[in-house]
Amino acid sequence: MKNNITILGGGQAGIYAAREIRKNDTESNIKILGEENLLPYERPPLSKDFLLDKKKEEDLYFHSSDVLKNENIEFENISINKVDFENKKLFAKNDNVYSYDSLLISTGSENKKLTLDNNLKNDIYYLRNLEEAKKIKEIVSNKNKITIIGGGFIGLEIASSLSQLQKKVIVIEIGSQLMGRIIPKQIADLVQNTHIEHGNEIILNKQIEKITKKNGDYEILLNDNTLIETDFIIAGIGSTPTVKLFENTNLKLDNGIVTNQFCETSIKDVFAAGDVSNFYHPFYERNMRLESYQHAQNHGICAGKNIAGVKTEYTSIPWMWSDQFNLNLQLTGICDEYDEIIERGNDINNGVIYFFLKNNKIRGACGVGIIGKVGRDIRITSKLTEKDTIVDKQILSDQNLKLNKLIQK
Amino acid sequence: MSEENWIEVGSTDSIEEEDLIRFDHQDKTFCVYKLTDGFYATDGICTHEAVHLEDGLVMDDEIECPMHQGIFNIKSGEALSPPACEDLKTYPVKVDNDKIFIKID
Repeated sequence: MKNNITILGGGQAGIYAAREIRKNDTESNIKILGEENLLPYERPPLSKDFLLDKKKEEDLYFHSSDVLKNENIEFENISINKVDFENKKLFAKNDNVYSYDSLLISTGSENKKLTLDNNLKNDIYYLRNLEEAKKIKEIVSNKNKITIIGGGFIGLEIASSLSQLQKKVIVIEIGSQLMGRIIPKQIADLVQNTHIEHGNEIILNKQIEKITKKNGDYEILLNDNTLIETDFIIAGIGSTPTVKLFENTNLKLDNGIVTNQFCETSIKDVFAAGDVSNFYHPFYERNMRLESYQHAQNHGICAGKNIAGVKTEYTSIPWMWSDQFNLNLQLTGICDEYDEIIERGNDINNGVIYFFLKNNKIRGACGVGIIGKVGRDIRITSKLTEKDTIVDKQILSDQNLKLNKLIQK
Repeated sequence: MSEENWIEVGSTDSIEEEDLIRFDHQDKTFCVYKLTDGFYATDGICTHEAVHLEDGLVMDDEIECPMHQGIFNIKSGEALSPPACEDLKTYPVKVDNDKIFIKID
């Protein structure tokens, strides 16, 4: 049957969903509506290789326009400002109306903003999209002392890149450790040491009282009365799901769009995937919202299957990475439900991993090491987690013993 | 097929089963694998980003990149799972007197 399938949101989840729908459904119309006038592109390099000029804009696109053309996937740059779920219509700012039979919402997430005086609103920079990355790249070229507010992944990746561009970088974090929302302290401390070794200053446990503009530069007053002088400020203080469009509708929202394990929302024929979705994970038996590359891709693919009528549960074990300096940090599963922690390795040059176990089974693991040193073990850990394997702790803790011995075939 | 294109990689016992070794030759780098039915070789660098596959996971005839989990079939080089979408180049391998050779073009 030929349907109109509309994908609202032109990011990674959207494009992977579109291609997966096409794999399973050669007839239906597939249209992606994107707010940015760009084909879907990879965001991870924006804070790293793009700032460092190792990757150009043209290297970022997931697929060329030819791929979309060949697969008969339409992409339109349009901003939607109203949704009528009852009549299955989307209304654009320019009065265009789009009817759908099935809708995928993959609107992603947006940056939280600092609460500031109005006169400073345009002085603080944030990084989520290509346009913002371009601006930051251009402006920092003639700045020297840069302050980053927020010691999460994005802030630290930018701090790493700017340090490599020979900038003096200060990171101010409100919490007692870096990346505190999801990364165990043991790993965060190793990453912090690397930043300090490269000359970055890390300030923990401090709040910003006031930012004052002074002769084109800025003074940041912290709550312990420390005064920081800086000539450029970037903030990375977390994100929220992009759901404003649905706030006065029947769509069930709770930290994003609530979906089941099939990417289905509370409204029939409406699906959600990626950062915007607070989905039920059957393995962890709870809802969660994830902001990661792997999740956007795999959740998009899963939504695509379900939209095309191939009923598929989303069971992917969470996985994410961050690259800072010559370090690659990886996280799998969830690291906040455990009764035992096991350490593997103690030298960052060979990789250090902490496993979080509950009832002798791995629930999550987090590792960091010189690029390439933890990926294989973290991947094996994902498989062990997925298979709910009771693990031999001796093998986990001894870096000389290979983890693939633990996989039961 | 000229003989000089076969380059010696090492002895057959230098690779464990379902594992790989890195092999650098001139300005190129390769991965040489031992699977249950023999030896195979591919380019050493992932086609997605310039990451070496030597630290990747070898399982069920597949190599998975340690950075972003792109997966390739070791025997055919086919990119099986995104983010990898470009195939990995493969190379012929032969074993002679317990030594592994790969043919580099």
